Amino acid sequence: MTGTSYRELLLLALPQTVVVLAGLIALALDLSLFRNSTNRVRFSAGAAIACAGSLAAGCCILLSQTHGAIQTFQNGMLLSNPLTHLIQIALLLLAVLTILLSIDSTFTDHIGEYILLILLATAGMMFLVSTEDLLLIFVSLELLSLCLYVLTGFNKHSVHSAEAALKYFLFGGMSAAFLLFGFSYLYGLSGSTNLVRIAAATEGSVMDPLLMVAIVMTVTGFGFKVAAVPFHLWSPDAYEGAPAPAAAFIASASKVASFFIFAQVMVLGFAGTAGNAGWNVRAPGWAPLVAVVAALSLVLGNVAALAQKSVKRLLAYSAIAHAGYMLLAIVSHTQQSIAALLYYVLTYALTTIGAFGVVAVVEHQTGGDKLSDFAGLSRRAPLPSMCMLVFLLSLAGIPPLAGFFGKFYLFSAALAGTTASLSLLWLVILAVAMSAVSLYYYLQVLKRIYVEQPPADAAPIQISILSQIVLCLIAAIIILLGCAPNLLLRLIQNALNAIIA
Amino acid sequence: MTWIVKNLWLIPILPVLAGGFGAVARQRNRVFAASLAIGSMVLSFLLSLVAMAHVYSLTGQGTAAREVFNFRWFEFGNEWVSLGWVLDPLTAVMLVMVTFVGTLIFIYSLGYMAHDENFTRFFCFLSLFAGAMLGVVIANSLLLLFMCWELVGLTSYLLIGFWYQKPSAAAAAKKAFITTRIGDLPFLLGVVWLYAQSGTLLFYNGGSGAIEHSALTALVAQTTSSGMAVSTAIALLIFCGAVGKSGQVPLHVWLPDAMEGPTPVSALIHAATMVAAGVFLVARVYPLMSASPSPVVSGVVATAITATTALKVVAWIGAITAVFAASIAVAQNDIKRILAYSTVSQLGYMMLGLGVGGVAVGIFHLITHAFFKSLLFMGAGSVIHGCHEQQDIRRMGGLRKWMPVTFAAYSVGMLALCGFPLFFSGFWSKDEILHSAHGWSVSQIPFYLGIVGALLTAFYMTRQMFYVFFGESRLASASHSTTPPNAPNDTPHESPSVMTMPLVILAACSVLLGIIGTPAWNAFHAFLQGERIAVDFARFGENGILPVMLASSLVVFFGLALGWWLYGRKPIYSADQPDALAALHSQLFGVLENKFFVDEIYQATIIRFNGWAASASNWLDRRVWSGGVQLVSQSVLGLSWFNRFVDANVVNAGFDAGCSSATRGARLLSHLQNGRVQNYLRVLGVALVVFVLFLIWGSKG
Repeated sequence: MTGTSYRELLLLALPQTVVVLAGLIALALDLSLFRNSTNRVRFSAGAAIACAGSLAAGCCILLSQTHGAIQTFQNGMLLSNPLTHLIQIALLLLAVLTILLSIDSTFTDHIGEYILLILLATAGMMFLVSTEDLLLIFVSLELLSLCLYVLTGFNKHSVHSAEAALKYFLFGGMSAAFLLFGFSYLYGLSGSTNLVRIAAATEGSVMDPLLMVAIVMTVTGFGFKVAAVPFHLWSPDAYEGAPAPAAAFIASASKVASFFIFAQVMVLGFAGTAGNAGWNVRAPGWAPLVAVVAALSLVLGNVAALAQKSVKRLLAYSAIAHAGYMLLAIVSHTQQSIAALLYYVLTYALTTIGAFGVVAVVEHQTGGDKLSDFAGLSRRAPLPSMCMLVFLLSLAGIPPLAGFFGKFYLFSAALAGTTASLSLLWLVILAVAMSAVSLYYYLQVLKRIYVEQPPADAAPIQISILSQIVLCLIAAIIILLGCAPNLLLRLIQNALNAIIA
Repeated sequence: MTWIVKNLWLIPILPVLAGGFGAVARQRNRVFAASLAIGSMVLSFLLSLVAMAHVYSLTGQGTAAREVFNFRWFEFGNEWVSLGWVLDPLTAVMLVMVTFVGTLIFIYSLGYMAHDENFTRFFCFLSLFAGAMLGVVIANSLLLLFMCWELVGLTSYLLIGFWYQKPSAAAAAKKAFITTRIGDLPFLLGVVWLYAQSGTLLFYNGGSGAIEHSALTALVAQTTSSGMAVSTAIALLIFCGAVGKSGQVPLHVWLPDAMEGPTPVSALIHAATMVAAGVFLVARVYPLMSASPSPVVSGVVATAITATTALKVVAWIGAITAVFAASIAVAQNDIKRILAYSTVSQLGYMMLGLGVGGVAVGIFHLITHAFFKSLLFMGAGSVIHGCHEQQDIRRMGGLRKWMPVTFAAYSVGMLALCGFPLFFSGFWSKDEILHSAHGWSVSQIPFYLGIVGALLTAFYMTRQMFYVFFGESRLASASHSTTPPNAPNDTPHESPSVMTMPLVILAACSVLLGIIGTPAWNAFHAFLQGERIAVDFARFGENGILPVMLASSLVVFFGLALGWWLYGRKPIYSADQPDALAALHSQLFGVLENKFFVDEIYQATIIRFNGWAASASNWLDRRVWSGGVQLVSQSVLGLSWFNRFVDANVVNAGFDAGCSSATRGARLLSHLQNGRVQNYLRVLGVALVVFVLFLIWGSKG
């Protein structure tokens, strides 16, 4: 291939490169300079390097934004536009928050490796969101997934952690195989790995059985990543077994990247074969399929969460339910609904990271994440309890928190869909009803925290200042985005307008 | 746009922040909370002065200098909900008044609340209130104004019920909240209607605001089904909110009860600021109130205001309230209740002024009243403090000797309230209202009502003065009847200087403020209208100014003399002695003492009806709807019983027969949920096949 400009490539991939370098530096320093320091010092040093690296990567992104708004390399192999910048910065922020919240944890001695894995996963996600090419999508998805498998099993003292990692790995491997299989069909059908060309080649040929298989395989692969029913089976086990910060990372950053690329592949790559999921205008295509997955996720996620005793499992099922809400936006796939999806997934990721942060605090102190371990938390740790209140109410969609506006935009965007108005009403009604159900289990947790008495021998929980600051910061952002949703929504809409124009 | 216009939001935000920090402060961090609150108020005051100076530098152009800053809050369908703030003379005047009086009252509270254990909470609420009130003042959007308005109502509720251990305080708080909410409901309807008609809730927005010319022309042109102009209907709905907040008849009942709160609260909220918010609201939407079908030539300042239906209602309600409340005040014995009814009456004057004379007339009385009424309340607080929480004026007396500073300041406030000629601000502001009422084209009755109100005001204030400050102390006779004796210091004492200093400052203002509103040098009027400020002694000679001044002076002298004749001539010797007025005409006195039985009427009509409706709903709920629910649940129970029966005897029996043992069945069940990854993968495969079939079925169908 002649004419490949490596300089251009390097410039486009500079942020990812910086992140990987930061991870390697953190590992090297951890193994050499801080070899004999205490875990706390090693973690602080590693986190500082990771933060610096992420900051530098963020600066690279912001600087490249000033050069030229939209750049593309090798026909969409690697992209750089306002939307990818926005998502990449969000991913960096989520990674930094995860690392900051894990400084206090004691589940591992391999601190350099831990930070490197998180940063590698971040780099994978940054590649994932900045490409329109099937090959790069698959490779970066694998980079991300492998890091996450290892992170899940990072607590070597716990059997559950290892078991969860193995389940996650086996399930993920199988899904990846399906995905690759589906991608190969797509390549066979269109002769190209570029999403836009695939769309052009498969336009209108929805009856083709090969394409149908390809669609189902693709939905399976991404359904696994976003934990939608019936590809969700790994997630409760993985969330429960993984160390809390790793679970937070899986539930937040990886969700953002996965949903982004899921929407991208569906909207760009299968542009002509969407069909329609409306109750009055049914047409075959991937939209009805995703609609079924969404409906299943909504019902199963919310109902199964009711019965959980472990807060991490509860959050896992709530994540499945939220995946259902977000799939709604993919089903309607208008520009407005994609904006709503991005707003939703970004605020959801922040909220989840915060909720897992609080769970980590409780787990660290009481050694468990059962609902009963949260009894009377408000007396033992008032500030994290307050933050948990904000997070859970935001997840339940109570105004004036970010979760409310996320749901509001999502549902109104789904209703205002392109073709016949209100054709997705059935799905929206189901989603609204299910979000009413969800309030029950969120309030169950809050009831434990605020109403029940703490155990008699309970001492106040000691939390480092840093964790408190990070938790409060996240809660403040959620309240702010709930009161002024426009701050983020306008950024997303401007970015979407820029790429469409 | 200058810095101060862009950053006007700082003025309300500072106290709100102080309140927020105060809320998380520990109860014992008294100095922290108080200094935070006072510091934020002082900063807001300084910023308000900057704003005032900025507006002042722009006056003299014939129209009111007005700058707005609007921004979009969030998207709602295709509409944007915008908020914003406005800086014009009205805002500037109110800002300076609220922050200045507020600062003094905050300082005064340091002394008054010194021994309260919830000192920190008090300052938190007080700051929150100040922030909300300032938000009302700067709001350029009816929505923002309404939100701050509700916040003001909430903080007022919290502060009236501050001593919530007292059942009377808790009840008064509830009463205040509910009564003002009754007014707020029509207000909200008006807001929604205005939005539906004009598509915006911004007051001013470069020509497209809701109370600017183009929107008003459209509103006036439409009529409702009853033939009333839409603008009038909306204006009346909004006025309902003002009636509730400003304690106008018939929603005045909460204000006297609100005196259960700490006295600084009464001074700040129920005399100077919050109750004035209703008057301010009318002034803010004045273009809407005065919108009439005849084209108004802009730029020409109409000296004779067109009497629209809305303004007529405002004027009549105001006039009636002025006399009604003043007559009740004559027969009250609680020092704060007298002042409360006097406040209601003075608010009536302000409404009257707005209705007959325009914004400047009403607002000038609002400003002067804020100073002298907060002075009176704080004086009353000082008296109560000095008399060991005694509030009954029959059990005071002779305090002139014990509390000279309070006495002097209180006298100034009292004379200002009565409208004592020439030297006191109350005289000039009240005289302006009376003069406007005299020139009103519709009717002369409000003018005569105003005159009667002035007479009553002078009378009841004289009565109060003689009861409290003259004669012999009757405090000792009280100690054995009502309150347990405070053994060590039973004699009244002067309050500490942290309480008396604000009194003195306010007293000075009460005198000096009159200068800016005399007919000859009507600086206040000119400032609000944006005219050039000039001295013109010839205006004294204009149509009827001097006769009205003379008449009101005579009325005041007559009222003072009457008070002296009844209460001052012979010193009051005993607390149980019947009131001099009661001796003259006991039946009339009884009616007045019981506040015209308004509370009782409400109790017998609205509240009883409400109770009846509630019990009827309760009955319906328990007997009728619940019966339906019971029926459904019983049938479900029956169904489930039947189910269980089938389950136990048919299904289970067959199942047991089918399975060799129960353990094997249980193992079968747990097998599906045991978290085995092989199962998971099996599900994955099955799902794949099912989905492909689903798609194929979809494309065939």
